[in-house]
Amino acid sequence: MSDRLTTPAELDQPIAPAWSTRALLDRFGMLLILPLLLAAGGIVSPAFISADNLSNLLLQFAPLAIVAMGQALVMIVRGLDLSVASMMATAAVIATGFSGSDRDVATIFAVALAVAVMIGLLNGFLVTKRQVSPFLATLATMILLQGFRFAYTQGAPSGNVPPLLRVFGAGKFHGIPYNVLVLVALAIILAIVLHRSTFGRRIFIVGGNPVTGRLFGIQSDLIIIACYLISACLAAVGGLILSGYVGLVDNWVGQGYELDSIVACVVGQVSLQGGRGSILGALTGAAIIVIIANEVLLLGVPIQVQLIIKGAVIVIAAALYARKDN
Amino acid sequence: MTGAANLRIEMPWLLRNNAGLAGVLVLIALVCLVGAAASDRFLSFNNFLNVFEQTTDLALVSIGQTLTILAGGIDLSVGSLISLTSCLTSGLINNNPDRVVVVVIAVLVLGTAVGCVNASLVVALRVHPLIVTLGMGAVLQGVTLLYALGPVGRVPRGFNFLAYGRVYGLPLGATLAVLLCILIALLLRYLPLGRQVYALGDDANSARLVGLRRTRILMLVYGTSGFCCAATGLYLAARFGVGQPYTGVNYTLASITPVVLGGTLLSGGKGGVVGTLFGAFLIALLNNLLNFMDVSKHYQLVAQAVIIILAVSVYVERRRTM
Amino acid sequence: MLKLAGISKSFPGVRALNGVHLHVQPGEIHGLLGENGAGKSTLIKIIAGADAPDEGEMDFADAPVQWSSPREAKQHGIHVVYQEFALFPQRSVAENIFIGHERRNRFGLLDHARTRREATQLLQRLGVSLNVNAAVSSLSVADQQMVEIARAMVHNVKLLVLDEPTAVIAGREVAVLFELLRRLRETGVSVLFISHRLDEVFAICDRVTVLKDGRLVGTHDIRDVTRQRLISMMVGRDLGDLFPPRTMTARSSETILRTEGVTVGERVRDVSIELRRGEIAALAGMVGAGRSELALGLFGAMPLRSGVIHLAGQRITSMTPARAIGLGMGLVTEDRKSQGLAMLLDIAANISGPALSEVAKHGLIDRRLESEVAAREIERYRIACRGPGTKVATMSGGNQQKVIVARWARICRSVLILDEPTRGIDVGAKAEIYRIMRELARSGVAILMISSELTEVIGMADRIIVMREGRVTGELPGGAATEEDIMHLATSENAA
Repeated sequence: MSDRLTTPAELDQPIAPAWSTRALLDRFGMLLILPLLLAAGGIVSPAFISADNLSNLLLQFAPLAIVAMGQALVMIVRGLDLSVASMMATAAVIATGFSGSDRDVATIFAVALAVAVMIGLLNGFLVTKRQVSPFLATLATMILLQGFRFAYTQGAPSGNVPPLLRVFGAGKFHGIPYNVLVLVALAIILAIVLHRSTFGRRIFIVGGNPVTGRLFGIQSDLIIIACYLISACLAAVGGLILSGYVGLVDNWVGQGYELDSIVACVVGQVSLQGGRGSILGALTGAAIIVIIANEVLLLGVPIQVQLIIKGAVIVIAAALYARKDN
Repeated sequence: MTGAANLRIEMPWLLRNNAGLAGVLVLIALVCLVGAAASDRFLSFNNFLNVFEQTTDLALVSIGQTLTILAGGIDLSVGSLISLTSCLTSGLINNNPDRVVVVVIAVLVLGTAVGCVNASLVVALRVHPLIVTLGMGAVLQGVTLLYALGPVGRVPRGFNFLAYGRVYGLPLGATLAVLLCILIALLLRYLPLGRQVYALGDDANSARLVGLRRTRILMLVYGTSGFCCAATGLYLAARFGVGQPYTGVNYTLASITPVVLGGTLLSGGKGGVVGTLFGAFLIALLNNLLNFMDVSKHYQLVAQAVIIILAVSVYVERRRTM
Repeated sequence: MLKLAGISKSFPGVRALNGVHLHVQPGEIHGLLGENGAGKSTLIKIIAGADAPDEGEMDFADAPVQWSSPREAKQHGIHVVYQEFALFPQRSVAENIFIGHERRNRFGLLDHARTRREATQLLQRLGVSLNVNAAVSSLSVADQQMVEIARAMVHNVKLLVLDEPTAVIAGREVAVLFELLRRLRETGVSVLFISHRLDEVFAICDRVTVLKDGRLVGTHDIRDVTRQRLISMMVGRDLGDLFPPRTMTARSSETILRTEGVTVGERVRDVSIELRRGEIAALAGMVGAGRSELALGLFGAMPLRSGVIHLAGQRITSMTPARAIGLGMGLVTEDRKSQGLAMLLDIAANISGPALSEVAKHGLIDRRLESEVAAREIERYRIACRGPGTKVATMSGGNQQKVIVARWARICRSVLILDEPTRGIDVGAKAEIYRIMRELARSGVAILMISSELTEVIGMADRIIVMREGRVTGELPGGAATEEDIMHLATSENAA
């Protein structure tokens, strides 16, 4: 690879500007799949493209997308965060842990984020300072949270979600869900942080190669810990929003989101090997998953078949990207 | 020089290539010490037989999982495959003793076949096993639910001997798991393909350059993992008397814990199934101890997580100093 | 033994090989020379069956062949020792040697005793004694190479291909390897020897083939060519003197870095050295003498166990890379791919990397500024690429090295350490790197060059510091020192 000759012919090639068609296609090409999916959905079942359904789609999209963005950061630094779903459920349990009135919303956010910070730090600490594999470290914190949650709720959570949180989770403003507004704000901030800031550049350098990061004077450990921290916090926010959407709380709010968020990232071309990925990719991946699930539902296909389709989509999407990379 | 090498006292091979095994044995001893202090019934033979019996399901899945991890992969389809096989077992037998033999064989073949499909997909699609088996897991769960949305079929009365029966005083299921473990340990050690499992997990690129047949190795490990899942499915059907479509769901991630506790590197290339067996035993023993100490079921999860964190941190320390 | 006729191979956008002929005779050591990108790697892959040629014919052992896999080539007796080795670090020596060809008993099961016994015998035949139960990761690089060669013996090798075997070993280890190759030659084995080092080619090869830009330049008997001729065949022009003239008057200039009793890791002990502004000091010694560890320690990438570093007027007992960079230090590491470069990123990011704040405002990167900075360096160092946005992974080794050197040269104000800066890069890029080093020194930076190539040490250094087994064993003035002087200090007295 590195042995390839830089021939004079190669030098004569025009310098590709950042905005060339190919570069654009490389960066935004995967977005093209969304209108295709939407169109296909509309053809198969007209109800799909009704304004109502689309706005519901957005409602379901937001929590997964929020979690997937955090997952993307962790995956870029060669990690994996299996604790996100457990974190979401824990946040949801916290949401019902108070009086259920709007006065407590600020407290709920504060407590949930405080727990998320601890879990994120623990994940990051295990991965960096103790060199535990991310898979195991986050698996352990997942079980840890689960244990504490069960012990706290004695297996049967009760209590109500404050109305304000319900608005955030399920309410709409002229058809646009509030949770999407939250998502958009978070996405813009994260995209700037990841793709424009020095911190984001360091994430990519460390993710591509931690040794290089160290030689660049970057404190790789801090960068990695920060990514786990952000992921846990986003999971907490996602969990609160989801609890608002679901309305009632059990111990398993968010179940399956750990794998779904990883799948969303893989489908959105965030590399499992680290060093590659984007916020846009995570969002696209999450959108693809939600759209497919919704279309399948509308088709009246039994819920079982959804799983089969989801499984197939995961593998096929990953296979397509593998081909492209090679 | 070479004389000295040959004269060196050889440790039993089970221990020699398995530094992690020592770690898990120490942990077991620790739990025993605490247990002895907590209750005088803890260290009794009967209690150990109980714990041994409770190890069966986790031991069976994790043995298969060990192989995929040794080869540098992972199998996240185990939970769904266990659900599927347990449903098929009770659904197909449907309380008809004449069908038992055929169905048991068919289920074991099916499990192995699913594993082989996993392996073929990993090879053919060039996709990380994490993703392939995750997808396969979703597909299998869907198939299971297509077959049965709730508890399905029944197994004949005699069939639960697999789960509750004792042979010469030993629990049958657990004994079979141990025998399977020993068999696989021997295969890993005495088959060329077994050694190549370690090689592939150690350095996949070298394996390619040396010309190892990756497909065969992956078929072996994922096939075995599938077989082990089917065995677990059979065992669970026997234990509950009926197959349930979500019965295996927790095993997917739980199967990884004993592997790691047993000293197998999650990155592959080092470890073994015997350690995994003890890892599974350790977890059952720990739960047993917490029961003795009247710790709520919920905190048992916390304890498990803490043990995992401690164990992996300690192993890391050892690796570093070497 | 091996006959290639009219071999061509294209990759998207590159014609890697164009009608290449190669004829390796039985029982000869055949050198294969060429700059990076000349097509050597592709040719090796085709010989090894890892790649199929687009055109051309291949004869092996007097029969036309067409490999479908590396396995098939191996069965016919071709064994390739790749530069990065194909070993299994956690497995034992014996297992590594017989992997894929395991020794079995009559039941078809593995015979571990026989495996160990035969591995020992095999290694003895090669004249090395290793503990066959040891994990390969615990061996020195030279010993690992021996395990690779021993593996070739298992297959009854007829053609042994060595890809830059001496890039990773030095001094006596090279002598041992050459002795071994000569013995193999006597038993009728052919060796295809790929190297950048002309001295070695002259020392060991019977004939030599030169490739350039994917084409055959020529095959010659080694006695019929001179060093100058080989260089001009490889480069396509006369290079003149490789080393730029010395300009240094070090005595007068100030000391910028001084260490007192520095101990790093397991290898480096109690090292006290001095570097002055404007000089090029070489750190010579055998591989494993602790030179790279010392470099990492000075730069803060490995912790100092004891000792003090005085750098730019500061007294430092615990160094970090960030602090070193802040004090104007730079480190070009030995291994580009795994350490020096952010392979997934572009040239601009690789150049701005350690000094991101320079191209950023309020924590946000100014892409245009970053790009301009990179474009300037690309022009200054004649880095062949399409622009600042070129991914470094797609570049040749020499150009990658230039990117690394450019990165540090730009921000380095006090000390630049270069660890084997010209390893594995072509002659043209080498001369370029030497020129840059001189320029930097002239601008007042102190340069510490670690090198195992003695000609380079003698040609470039104003002062030579020699290490052996983690300690500094002496200093020699540049220019006047001979290879013997250096080797005497670098190897233990009784061995020398």
